[in-house]
Amino acid sequence: MNTDDINLAYAVRRALNEQLDTLPAPTTARLAAARATALARKKADAPQRAHQPARQGGLFGIQIGALFSGAGLGRIAVAIPLFALVAGLAGVYQHEQKQHIADVAELDAAVLSDELPLTAYLDDGFNAYLASQKRTQ
Amino acid sequence: MAHPPLERMATDKELSDFLEHVERRAFKQAVYAVRKDESAFDIVQDAMIKLAEKYGDKPAAELPMLFQRILQTTILDYFRREKVRNTWVSLFSGLGRRDGDDAEFDILATYEAEQGSSAAESSADQVERAQTLQIIENEVQKLPARQREAFLMRYWQDMDVAETAEAMGCSEGSVKTHCSRATHTLAAALKAKGLTL
Repeated sequence: MNTDDINLAYAVRRALNEQLDTLPAPTTARLAAARATALARKKADAPQRAHQPARQGGLFGIQIGALFSGAGLGRIAVAIPLFALVAGLAGVYQHEQKQHIADVAELDAAVLSDELPLTAYLDDGFNAYLASQKRTQ
Repeated sequence: MAHPPLERMATDKELSDFLEHVERRAFKQAVYAVRKDESAFDIVQDAMIKLAEKYGDKPAAELPMLFQRILQTTILDYFRREKVRNTWVSLFSGLGRRDGDDAEFDILATYEAEQGSSAAESSADQVERAQTLQIIENEVQKLPARQREAFLMRYWQDMDVAETAEAMGCSEGSVKTHCSRATHTLAAALKAKGLTL
């Protein structure tokens, strides 16, 4: 910005500052009250937390005490349901896999025992046929 | 190895002095943005409380930039809430409620009365002076939001380019561009009104 621009900027600044003096008294009083409210809620000093040396010990470097602090409990509260969800999904997957293997094995056994007519391989109701065979046995 | 000295957190008095120094300008900044005194007051109060609660332990030197960032965010939040509210109001406007119109009318009437009473002086020169200041203020208010933010932070809040860029979340080059455009826009607008500063 050139000198004229800067002069204009500072002239505007002076004008805006003059306008500040025209703020109504109730507004300035409310601002002062808001300031007092904000100061009353000022963040507490925390120098001890900043300078506190890390305590040695713990299992595999994990501070046991930290696990049961507010943040630690929060993490555990999130981790346990997540772990349960993952374990549940893994269990369902294992069960489905076993079921699939059992079905295939049943079909293989039927084919190898050669109890089926050749047309059965083309029949859409293959499983129904197998079931009826079992019932007759 | 020598460590840099730790920056001392702001004392209660430093925080109080800082807020006292900026509160009226912050209020005006909010008024320029939202154009409603009552909303502007709420915004400034929220910003002051957020600064004290979340950043009260920061060094005093960082307070201006942090406060400006909080103030701008709070103003943006206000506009987001207004947008959502207006959407719902427009959806239900067919129900025939007229309370909103009445409330808006009252606020504007009060605002104008406050301005009139504060500027009411006996001398013709003082009236003219007040009118000039009001014109300047109006033109600042008309600036595009980002230009106005950059201009006010740089030339009214005494923040340097780097602090302004950090508070606005943009590059230093963008701050310079916004400031330059704001100044040119103001110069042209004031010239059109017959004012030379």
